[in-house]
Amino acid sequence: MHKVVTVDMEKDILAENRRLADENRALLEEHDIRAFDFLGAIGSGKTLIIEKLVDHLKSKGKESAAIAGDVSGDDDYQRLVAHGIPAANISTGKECHLDAHLVDHALEDLPLDKIDYLFIENVGNLVCPVDFPLGSHVRVVVISVTEGDDMVRKHPAIFAFSDVIVINKIDLAEAMQVDPRILERDARRINPGAKIVKMDARHGNGLDDLISALGL
Amino acid sequence: MHEFSVMSQIIEGLLEESKKWSAVKVEEVFLDLGDFTMLGEEQLKFSYEILSKDTILQGSTLTINHVKGTIECDCGFKGEMSPSEDSPHRIVPILECPKCRGPARIISGRECTIKNLRLVVPDV
Repeated sequence: MHKVVTVDMEKDILAENRRLADENRALLEEHDIRAFDFLGAIGSGKTLIIEKLVDHLKSKGKESAAIAGDVSGDDDYQRLVAHGIPAANISTGKECHLDAHLVDHALEDLPLDKIDYLFIENVGNLVCPVDFPLGSHVRVVVISVTEGDDMVRKHPAIFAFSDVIVINKIDLAEAMQVDPRILERDARRINPGAKIVKMDARHGNGLDDLISALGL
Repeated sequence: MHEFSVMSQIIEGLLEESKKWSAVKVEEVFLDLGDFTMLGEEQLKFSYEILSKDTILQGSTLTINHVKGTIECDCGFKGEMSPSEDSPHRIVPILECPKCRGPARIISGRECTIKNLRLVVPDV
């Protein structure tokens, strides 16, 4: 004979990632490392911005490391190690985002005792990473004017869950006929607590604003 | 499109729980899904159907209960966010406090929780 029973589970699937993210953060803090997680579309300028920040920190005598996440290849990884910093490459293969578990493994490959700052570059995707914090202290989303001035309205969630919003490539705004103020206004409304930085990473304009927004 | 990998974890949890109870069949699974997650109901249900094949979950119903996103602010506001002017039918997390326009914090809407499940178990 059989019977039907109702069993309570109360298991939050996303909470498991959040728990691992908290563990990553605790590990980083044990080593006095401040970590930044960069999100944004492919081509928005994430890698270049990290490269600029790494050079800036180096000039101040601070050591950085990076984790480069991509679906495939090691292009970003190669660019980052060229700046003389330790880095780990994560090819997710099929996954559209990094998760705390993948970052935990990447941390095993980095000399945590020797670094002051960690930059984590997520897969270029504006939807999936939202549900998966990694354990960084500050989450930065990078968008560029070339993505259009309706960009923030099209992908609102990622802006709600970021601490710093970078509007990049403002030198191209006129050519693209995009008004960066629209992007700024939309971002401000979705996340009034976020810091917003307008910059042109290629030529270094606005880099100082980002450096101060990140407390570097 | 990360519903498939999330659903793989859900199925794993469900099979583990069913085994604990020596269940012979699963009839229904209840899932709480926060409005602020980036998980789509249709894709979750589709993934469930595929991943439950050839397991004791096959043929069971996945019932998804949407959990409203709520926010709170230092000004004392606590509740649902303001509806989005440009897309009133879409769920957009807007962290601007509807009362004072200051920055608000999320208190619910980020969960994807297996609440409970209805199992057929041996009556001993």
